[in-house]
Amino acid sequence: MAEQDITQASQRVFSLNLGPQHPSTHGVLRVLLDLDGEYIVKADPVIGYGHRGHEKMGENRQYKQFLPNTSRMDYLSGMLFNHGFVLAVEKLVGIEVPERAKYIRVIASELNRISSHLLWFGTYLLDLGGFTPFLYTFDDREQILDILDSVSGSRLTYSYCRFGGVTSDIDSKFIDMTRAFLKRMESRWTDYDKLVSKNIIFIHRTRGVGVIDRELARQYGVTGPNLRACGVGFDVRRSEPYEVYDRLDFEVPTGSKGDALDRYLVRFSEMQQSCRIIDQALEHLPGGEFIAKKVPQKLAPPKGELYFAFESARGLCAYYLVSDGGPDPYRCHIRVPSFGNLNVLNDVLPGTLVADSISILGSIDVVIPEIDR
Amino acid sequence: MKAKEMERVMLLMFPDAPLERDETGLTGAQWSIIVPASSIRDAAKAFDGAGFFLESLTALDFEDTFELVYHFNYYEPGSRVVVRAPCGHDQVPPSICDVYRGAIWLEREVHDFFGIKFSGNPDMRPLLLPEDADYHPLRKTFGKVSAYHKRKMIYG
Amino acid sequence: MEKKVREPDAPIVQFALLDHILNVARANSLWPMTFGLACCAIEMMAAGASRFDLDRIGAGVFRPSPRQSDVMIIAGTIAKKMVPAIKMLWDQMPNPKWCIAMGNCAISGGPFEYEEQYAIVPGAHLILPVDIVIPGCPPRPEALFQGLLALEDKITHGEDRNILRRFKRVSEG
Repeated sequence: MAEQDITQASQRVFSLNLGPQHPSTHGVLRVLLDLDGEYIVKADPVIGYGHRGHEKMGENRQYKQFLPNTSRMDYLSGMLFNHGFVLAVEKLVGIEVPERAKYIRVIASELNRISSHLLWFGTYLLDLGGFTPFLYTFDDREQILDILDSVSGSRLTYSYCRFGGVTSDIDSKFIDMTRAFLKRMESRWTDYDKLVSKNIIFIHRTRGVGVIDRELARQYGVTGPNLRACGVGFDVRRSEPYEVYDRLDFEVPTGSKGDALDRYLVRFSEMQQSCRIIDQALEHLPGGEFIAKKVPQKLAPPKGELYFAFESARGLCAYYLVSDGGPDPYRCHIRVPSFGNLNVLNDVLPGTLVADSISILGSIDVVIPEIDR
Repeated sequence: MKAKEMERVMLLMFPDAPLERDETGLTGAQWSIIVPASSIRDAAKAFDGAGFFLESLTALDFEDTFELVYHFNYYEPGSRVVVRAPCGHDQVPPSICDVYRGAIWLEREVHDFFGIKFSGNPDMRPLLLPEDADYHPLRKTFGKVSAYHKRKMIYG
Repeated sequence: MEKKVREPDAPIVQFALLDHILNVARANSLWPMTFGLACCAIEMMAAGASRFDLDRIGAGVFRPSPRQSDVMIIAGTIAKKMVPAIKMLWDQMPNPKWCIAMGNCAISGGPFEYEEQYAIVPGAHLILPVDIVIPGCPPRPEALFQGLLALEDKITHGEDRNILRRFKRVSEG
């Protein structure tokens, strides 16, 4: 009798609720897991706990009134989203941007990309149980935030990029601080390499874990470092160059296996490539205006639509603006990279161990308010 | 170029469908075609066979019709194409979730925001709104909107 | 939503000096719950990291479980879908507990509040008894420090002491 009970109990599937308040869900994500012992049988991410109605807000305010929203969608790449929106509207309306402004915007965006990857780095290792890198990466990140704070006035949610350029010019203090930061990071890369990349525990926890193959990535629309770790070298800065990326020399790092270790290595290399981009941009920084002179106060783009894609820290992000000729957009849809990146977990998590699910969730680098918009 | 090949494929599949090429590059896509909502699955299968990925799926609300907008892209420069499917306010278009697995969530989001049901999608629960939500926020008849037009006012 | 939220009951047995000592102990060892909802969560993490170290004031031990924490820092916008979870977490926290509303979204809806906003709750005070508000979008980590120190002030000196802490105490006269 007792044996029968035990056998029946072991055939039952156990439902576990992960989140929405959990230390490693990176925001308010809830994953409903069905477990068979320690193995995940089915994973169902539930999102929407951070839905704030950005797309509806986009439809009832003017283009420049939507600028604060852009930074708050993916707050870790706030400058990149801000930059992308400004580029989209400039293309829609037809505003010429001075050269100096383009270079300044590229420098600010790449600094933001490095700070986003640094934060991911620190929190990923915190999830895996290593407390030390978190303190180091946040310290490095504070240097970047100081640099961006000195010129835009904000640490996290910027409205620095405006239609036609930027709000204020960068001065020699900014350039000195940036160069000092780049110099500081040169020694930091070796420190991180020795502390983390060659750490045997880290390698065991990430090698072969959470493999996303190319076909799965294509089915779900995965982009960004997750896709590049599978071996597809697709980067919007190369395929649809905007601003001055076609004049700058940088590599697009790719992996081969698509596991968590490859995703980590791709992001690590991307940070170094971003440092290279900033270095070149500072070399070639021209003089001139930092904002276009004759930008109309009330923008009324011609009727039509625009789908503008740019590379955020998490992948291909795009603004789809439909204009009816009036001052407000008719439709403002944002295609976010984390949507596909999280969606792929429906097929990646089943078959893995529960303890590995934290490692996988951390390695795909999602920001939930970006998905929830 | 992948986009050019798919243009030929689409014109073979839908010989009467209006296809607009974008020579200036100002819309972000190479060309845009309007197909009937009932043949969306055939179009999606053609793109899947050619190796494209579904970049985005969204909808537009006009006075006379909804319009589903599918963006497909390939991993090469200059390969983004738009497939549009007009869909009446009470029509139920077919789902493409067996062609592209990622479409399950995308269609759930469109259903959340616009109320468009997709037949064949196994999961039509709300994605972003609360589970008991019975409103569809992005419809122009909900909440504060600044404009509600017919389709030809914008696209001619 | 009901306007008045029931405050936790006062203890039946009260000691004078011992209460004060207990309050000082509670104030200097506040254990926050990790409850970041949106952008303000990043500034909360930065406040707990190496540059602005929350451990100096005793509040650096972030507990993921509500049963082990005594202050809930609501950092971020409260979406309507999240409200039952917040209520459940607040109810699980043992007394004495406090609540800090960090950021404009938790105070009044922030940049997302407009007439006919359908998705958010414009302010944490509508669902919880908030003790301290920290304005900003997002507030700097120094502002979070000031808010935590003001909460410590409130704990040690009573409910009616609502001023933010200054370096020099302003005398009544």
